[in-house]
Amino acid sequence: MKAWRLPPPVLLLLPAVIVLAAIVLLPLLLSLYSSFTPFRLTRPETIYDWVGFRNYERIFTDADFWIAFGRTVLLLTVALNLEMILGLGLAMLVERFTRGQRILRTILMFPMMFSPILVGFQFKFMFNDNVGLVNNALQSLGLTDQAIPWLIDGTLAFIAICVAEVWSSTSVFAIFILAGLMAMPRDPLEAARVDGCTPWQTFRYVTWPFLMPFAFIAMTIRSLDVARAYDIIKIMTDGGPAGRTEVLWTLIARTAYSDARMGMANAMAYVAILLSIAFTAYFFSQLGKARAQVAADW
Amino acid sequence: MATLTLSQLDKNYGAFHAVKGIDLDVADGEFVALVGPSGCGKSTTLRMIAGLEDITGGDIRIGDRVVNDLAPRARNISMVFQSYALYPHMTVGENMGFTLKIAGRDKAEIDAAVAEAARALEITQLLDRRPAQLSGGQRQRVAMGRAIVRDPDVFLFDEPLSNLDAKLRGQMRTEIKQLHARLKATVVYVTHDQVEAMTLADRIVIMKDGNIEQVGTPDEVFNQPASQFVAGFIGSPPMNMADAVTTATGLRFANGLELPMPPGFNVAEGRKVVFGLRPDDLYPEGHGIHSEGGHAVTTMDLTVDLSEPLGNETLLFVDLADKRFTGRMLNPRRVTPGEVMTFHLDLSNAHLFDADSGLSLRGA
Amino acid sequence: MDENATARLKKTASNWTLNVALFVAMAIICLPGLWIVLNSLRPTVEIMAKPPIWIPQSLSFDAYVAMFSGIGEGGIPVISYFRNSVIIAVTSTIISLAIGMSGGYAFARYRFKGKGGWFLGLMLTRAVPGIALSLPLFFLYARVGLIDTHAGMILAYTALNVPFTIWLIDGFFRQVPRDLAEAAQIDGCTRWQAFWQVEFPLARPGIASAGIFAFLTSWNEFALASQLTRSTDSKTLPVGLLDYTAEFTIDWRGMCALAVVMIIPALILTYAVQKHLVSGLTTGAIKG
Repeated sequence: MKAWRLPPPVLLLLPAVIVLAAIVLLPLLLSLYSSFTPFRLTRPETIYDWVGFRNYERIFTDADFWIAFGRTVLLLTVALNLEMILGLGLAMLVERFTRGQRILRTILMFPMMFSPILVGFQFKFMFNDNVGLVNNALQSLGLTDQAIPWLIDGTLAFIAICVAEVWSSTSVFAIFILAGLMAMPRDPLEAARVDGCTPWQTFRYVTWPFLMPFAFIAMTIRSLDVARAYDIIKIMTDGGPAGRTEVLWTLIARTAYSDARMGMANAMAYVAILLSIAFTAYFFSQLGKARAQVAADW
Repeated sequence: MATLTLSQLDKNYGAFHAVKGIDLDVADGEFVALVGPSGCGKSTTLRMIAGLEDITGGDIRIGDRVVNDLAPRARNISMVFQSYALYPHMTVGENMGFTLKIAGRDKAEIDAAVAEAARALEITQLLDRRPAQLSGGQRQRVAMGRAIVRDPDVFLFDEPLSNLDAKLRGQMRTEIKQLHARLKATVVYVTHDQVEAMTLADRIVIMKDGNIEQVGTPDEVFNQPASQFVAGFIGSPPMNMADAVTTATGLRFANGLELPMPPGFNVAEGRKVVFGLRPDDLYPEGHGIHSEGGHAVTTMDLTVDLSEPLGNETLLFVDLADKRFTGRMLNPRRVTPGEVMTFHLDLSNAHLFDADSGLSLRGA
Repeated sequence: MDENATARLKKTASNWTLNVALFVAMAIICLPGLWIVLNSLRPTVEIMAKPPIWIPQSLSFDAYVAMFSGIGEGGIPVISYFRNSVIIAVTSTIISLAIGMSGGYAFARYRFKGKGGWFLGLMLTRAVPGIALSLPLFFLYARVGLIDTHAGMILAYTALNVPFTIWLIDGFFRQVPRDLAEAAQIDGCTRWQAFWQVEFPLARPGIASAGIFAFLTSWNEFALASQLTRSTDSKTLPVGLLDYTAEFTIDWRGMCALAVVMIIPALILTYAVQKHLVSGLTTGAIKG
């Protein structure tokens, strides 16, 4: 008699499922539970007080939370769109070069190797109002004689953070779109030129429809990782000045560790998690469609 | 429609000289085929006409207009690609109407033009499909439809039939021919298949190593090849060739065999030449392609090494002057290997080429 | 001017514009890194100088020497951090590769119910922001005594890396024709042997790049590490970087030197796999 065995795919997936259940799912359930308590790290017994939706009610009526939420969405929208456009441009610039491609591609990947925390420090240094590269350059070029308070003024700090974020992640888009460009069949491009397309029309009607799934891959991968921006912001401004660059993730960290209000922080974290998952799931579904299209046609 | 003139057209890729200053005039409405082995520069020439490659030197003129540096879109040409190059994300109809859409024509006009082209090519029922859903032959028709819709000055074809199977290729060949007869279009057609060139073209341009070897009508390049290369390239099975030296009365081959001088050739004694004879002109007695009177026929008994029956004819392989020669037997009968047959060599159609330059010695 | 000359001029002009644009873009990409390297070699006075000194006056490796001479300038135990980083990153990479290979193989080779759903589910676990995960994980780890241990960090990073390794390795196994393993089985291999003899060697470059990607993620991670590590027992380099910041001042030179130390292994590894990395991700995504 044959011994009863698990079917192979189940067996093969089991380790992954166990690890993820233990390190991700279980803590998430725990944080879901604790988001319904007034849990404070300093008073462990509070984890047994059930307060229902009180934390959620508080954060939903908390202006600071909504401002941070709005700023997070704004940051993501601005950064992801800029990265996409710049990445596309960069990829097309690099693709023109047949010689020296390998070197160019390596340089292109350069920022991907930087730990986000390094990016944070690097740009904190460069945007430093006193010794930073940016102000030094502007002053030496005579464009301004004052020290521009990059990280001290709220709006400028937001811009500086966007610059750092775009610098560190444009490569992801550029690399994937470049891979798409290289995989693209040449003949339809030439046919378009003969058919009377200007370079812009060739891009619009032929190149872009082909590249779209590659852009979605990049978007999907990026959306898995958007919270890396936390590291950058944490270092550059830590949500400051006076909360003017506070995003969801810095707010959560502050609430949890500085204020020790874990229950509240977990409630916020849940909102952030749902936001991330929504972004990712959306791009995954788009990817599925784009992929079906490419697989069927190209 | 318009004329097309290439003068001293040159193309270098770094140190590699791909096209070496060629001259060519294509008349209005003429169908010209560029043939040659791969790497001979025929595709590069076509792509330069299209504007897909920059030219290194010389001029390209479409009509009265010099188009050397113009972008492809400014040249008013159509091109059919080897891979068809259909836009995969557009339907057949959108593919065909694309060029008019880009030109900013209104929808009704585009639809009418597409419908007419589709009717001509019998692909009306395919207009809503995507290229991925079409067979090779259907894609080929769509690619031609796309070219027709534009109503260009010059049609360019880049090996359009090479991705089709043999049967379809024959069928499409006929259709292209009919289409050309109807449209009276100026066509430049690149192919490596000499049968396509022979059947389709008004004139054939044979290229080799970036040079033009010969320009002529199919009849001229077949019957009066300008060089050994052309003679070997045109015709199937290829022309039989053997080295020989001229004597006072004719030719002597390395193994001592002597043949009379073919008519039409007058070559001084002691010259090294290459003798060429098409398989059609080497046949067993009574099985020839030509009427046997009035020709300079030499008779010889030869042993058949091998035979390839093709139904309507049989190819016979014999040893002549230490070379394997192919002969063509019409109204065939069974031939067993080793059989000795009496062969006729029709020397009035034979060729002589200079052994060094490879050029034809006809009239020299 | 005739139309050919105009067309030629336009072409040349646009060529030059695009070349210049590429050069500027590449300069912007490289500049911050070079700036860091330069400043790690300069004395602090020069970094702080007003007006700025553009051409370095004196270069030295003092910062590096100080950093590696144990508790040196600023008292930063870089060697411990480095060791912790290596142990944690390497171990978690190996484990996530093993798990990723088995998972990736399952997705690439078997059909099962809810395959798409499982895949999406695994990927979504990656979307949970590190900082959001760190709160309950901190609590959980505190309970079982994993705070400030290598094991805790290794586990956390394994979980972080598994989804991505599965995605990558799935893509690479898909590229290996199914026929090959079947042929090997007909030739007398068991399925297990067929995997190790045929499919694994062919997918090896992809598995290597998945490994390096996992390594880099662990090597660079900060959000989790900053909460789950406490002392030199388990603090990693990214967390160590913070040691250079005091309340209001930052030792820029020391920090730049540590940054260079962090970036060099990453640089080498990324260069080694850049080709496979992209092809793996795209095949996985396009042919999914």
